[in-house]
Amino acid sequence: MKIRGILLPSTLLAAIIFITLPFGSATEFSFRDGGKTKHSLAAYRWILAQEDFLHYLGVSLRLALGAVFITLLIMVPTVAWLHLRAQKYRPLMEFLTLLPLVVPVVALSIGAQSALPEALQSNEYELSFMYVILAMPYTYRALDIGMSAIPLKTITEAARGLGASWIKAITFVIAPVIRNAVVASLFLTLALSLGEFTLTSLLHWDTFPTWVTSVSQQNIIGAIALSVFSLAAAFLFLFAIGLLTMRSKSDLPEGQE
Amino acid sequence: MTSTTQDRVVIKGAPLRGTLDRQNLGVLVPLLPIVLFLGFFFFFPMAVVFVDSFKSNEGNWSMINIVTIFHDPYRMAFINSIKLGLVSAITASIPGALFAYVIETKGSQSLRRIVSSLSGVLANTGGVPLAFMFVAAFGAEGSAVMILKKLGWDLYAGNFSLFSFTGIVVVYLYFQIPLMIIVFSPAIHGIRKEWRDASQNLGATPLQFWRFIGLPLLLPSFAASFLLLFASAFAAYATARAMTVGNIALVPLQIGNLVDGNVSINQANAGKALAVGMVVISAIAMIPYLIIQRRARRWQT
Amino acid sequence: MSSATLEINGISRRFGDVVALNKLEIKIEPGELVALLGPSGCGKTTALRIVAGLESTDSGSVLLRGADITKVSANHRNMGMVFQAYSLFPNLNAQENVAFGLQMRKVAKGNRLAKAGELLELVGLNTQSKRFPHQLSGGQQQRVALARALAVEPDVLLLDEPLSALDAQVRANLREEIRRLQLSLGTTTLFVTHDQEEAMSISDRVGVMNHGRLEQIASPDTLYNKPATTFVASFVGLMNRLPGILTNGKVEVLGQNLSTLSSDLANGQVKALVRPERINVTQDQSTPNARVITRSFLGASSRIICEMHDGTIVQSLMTSHGSGMLNPGETVKLEIADLEVLIAHE
Repeated sequence: MKIRGILLPSTLLAAIIFITLPFGSATEFSFRDGGKTKHSLAAYRWILAQEDFLHYLGVSLRLALGAVFITLLIMVPTVAWLHLRAQKYRPLMEFLTLLPLVVPVVALSIGAQSALPEALQSNEYELSFMYVILAMPYTYRALDIGMSAIPLKTITEAARGLGASWIKAITFVIAPVIRNAVVASLFLTLALSLGEFTLTSLLHWDTFPTWVTSVSQQNIIGAIALSVFSLAAAFLFLFAIGLLTMRSKSDLPEGQE
Repeated sequence: MTSTTQDRVVIKGAPLRGTLDRQNLGVLVPLLPIVLFLGFFFFFPMAVVFVDSFKSNEGNWSMINIVTIFHDPYRMAFINSIKLGLVSAITASIPGALFAYVIETKGSQSLRRIVSSLSGVLANTGGVPLAFMFVAAFGAEGSAVMILKKLGWDLYAGNFSLFSFTGIVVVYLYFQIPLMIIVFSPAIHGIRKEWRDASQNLGATPLQFWRFIGLPLLLPSFAASFLLLFASAFAAYATARAMTVGNIALVPLQIGNLVDGNVSINQANAGKALAVGMVVISAIAMIPYLIIQRRARRWQT
Repeated sequence: MSSATLEINGISRRFGDVVALNKLEIKIEPGELVALLGPSGCGKTTALRIVAGLESTDSGSVLLRGADITKVSANHRNMGMVFQAYSLFPNLNAQENVAFGLQMRKVAKGNRLAKAGELLELVGLNTQSKRFPHQLSGGQQQRVALARALAVEPDVLLLDEPLSALDAQVRANLREEIRRLQLSLGTTTLFVTHDQEEAMSISDRVGVMNHGRLEQIASPDTLYNKPATTFVASFVGLMNRLPGILTNGKVEVLGQNLSTLSSDLANGQVKALVRPERINVTQDQSTPNARVITRSFLGASSRIICEMHDGTIVQSLMTSHGSGMLNPGETVKLEIADLEVLIAHE
């Protein structure tokens, strides 16, 4: 009985140490001022002085929004259609959208580099399209699970039966009930796009994550400070999504009487 | 590149073939955008990689690049990458599974939620920033190293290096353990209280419950999670690139070098052959993973 | 087969501030089927789990054949339990599930599988023995669970709402089958349910529970006709609540002066509890006291809903033959066929 009582707290303590050790160290490191003991905000001041900081932040944000836009345009209508009219193709689509998970990003990068037309490869929005592919196994599932939880077909038919046009059915019935699933999938796309490194660097583009790497060659403390900044941002962002998508799932009571 | 248009047609057409009759057409047309999208940005590039890997660098059909990847330095890189995948999967799956077990069985509803969200974040925090954080902690001047030194343990007294195979394994734990927690927790959560109660009622001790019911139920999910972790470590690029200084040959890094043109130009298709090798190994792990996870969902309701 | 006496001696249990059981006292005779009936949260499942050894008790004891088994762990109690749903082990097929208890008792593989086969035949599933739980319907799963519980030849069979997750038709069939098997094997059985029809139809005795207390335990007939408390009266079957005036043990309802069954209430306004079939609706126009709202034909009997002058809605159940002439809107006279009634507070 005694062992049971301390099992949970000791496990949690180990987890906290595991998480805070690198995070805490990096934070401490980022405040170092040249020497080993003096601390200051020098590294952060240095970052803000870099023109590239805002520039690459802008590039990453722009490409991520591009990916979000494509997801909204292609993924959302497709999954909605699968649930409304093409139920029998759901297993096939689930299989196809899972495949990008099987192929290592490195392998896909080399494929994109050798197969996509020059005109596309010279446009940075090429990355937005590829980010959508990388995120597809996750976005498809988020949308699919979200739409499975509600009888989309029945309520749409009910709305149509009550005299709503297709446009009205989409605006007043479909859109509101699938909102949570859509928001979750868009956030997933955004998060993945903002942090993507492998494909971006192998296709020779520069975004925020690749810029951080190049910074490390001239200013390691600056690069660590940037890492702390970007991880803290990613952390808050993804944690918010986590809680958001959690809440949208219904909590069935587990106990008996 | 002459055969590319043809490839495209074949790949795009494949999933639809044989189902196109008039009734289906109206249902299928709205699915066209995503099929075209996947076809163009995913299947087409992968088909090109596959086809080109069977060509010499001059463009003639040849097995030369496929043969090349079975020889050093590529052979060594494959061995290292597979070893890294296995070691990382072993070191992350066991603590991850135990942690998931403690949280799922002892933790409250809200704690389980926090752990799940947090794991989601950490599993996706791989990459370069993660490597830099470990440099800050365990590099020669890292904070953790300095603290340990004050406590009388000089980590760098021996031949410790963060930029080594061990170093990579340790850093990978950081996203692999959370990944394990994410994929394995549903299996533990799926072990119903009724099964424990029923087994006890029928005369089983807790040990017998685990032997005959609990472990047989968890084993497939554990194996599947293990395969996923293997594939994840095997294919990881960003962290590995930041963590090695050209001292450890890994397949993703070698492909990266070939793409970057750091190596002589007559090896252009060797990169594609390596990529095919990676896809094959990754598929060997991922396809069973996907199948097992799907089957396990039957009782995880 | 084994038949044992089960005694529950004053067991109490609380979870934090919630009193789940308050000095529960039940004795079950060998071969008897006793149901515990009550709304959800009344403590009936807790009682069952304490008997099974899956839950501990704060005080009191459980006796089997007169021996105290309160401290015996669940896996040594030899009780067969059927749970609400999803209790079959998903990695074992139907036959292996049924044989599990025998396996734990070190019965040789051939023997235990043969015995499991016999039990599956008993519940009509001999052709499904190699199927896994997810390949069986809800009703089939519960049959397997029943066979599994009976396979160990339990001293006591414990049923924890085994039918609540099933369709109405399947539920009714399986209910009869449980009773048939229980009678033929003579197994002492404790059955927990919130469905009164289920409890009343197959039990020798029914214990009605409320807030962790046993309100009354008696045969279904006694429970229905002579409810000991107003809770039992209103929980079991339908009851009309008619306004009346209590004066010194006598109550005046619908112009009739009747005796009361429980009279610890103070004189004044009370409610008299009367079953629908004990109310006659007549066309006597001398002193009409109500108006017909609807009449629903149910076959041999008909349900007549009336409204009294003060707005009270009264339900009556009469033979269709005797109530054919009653039409909606008609003024009628309501009469109580009982001489004694149960009364309750306003």
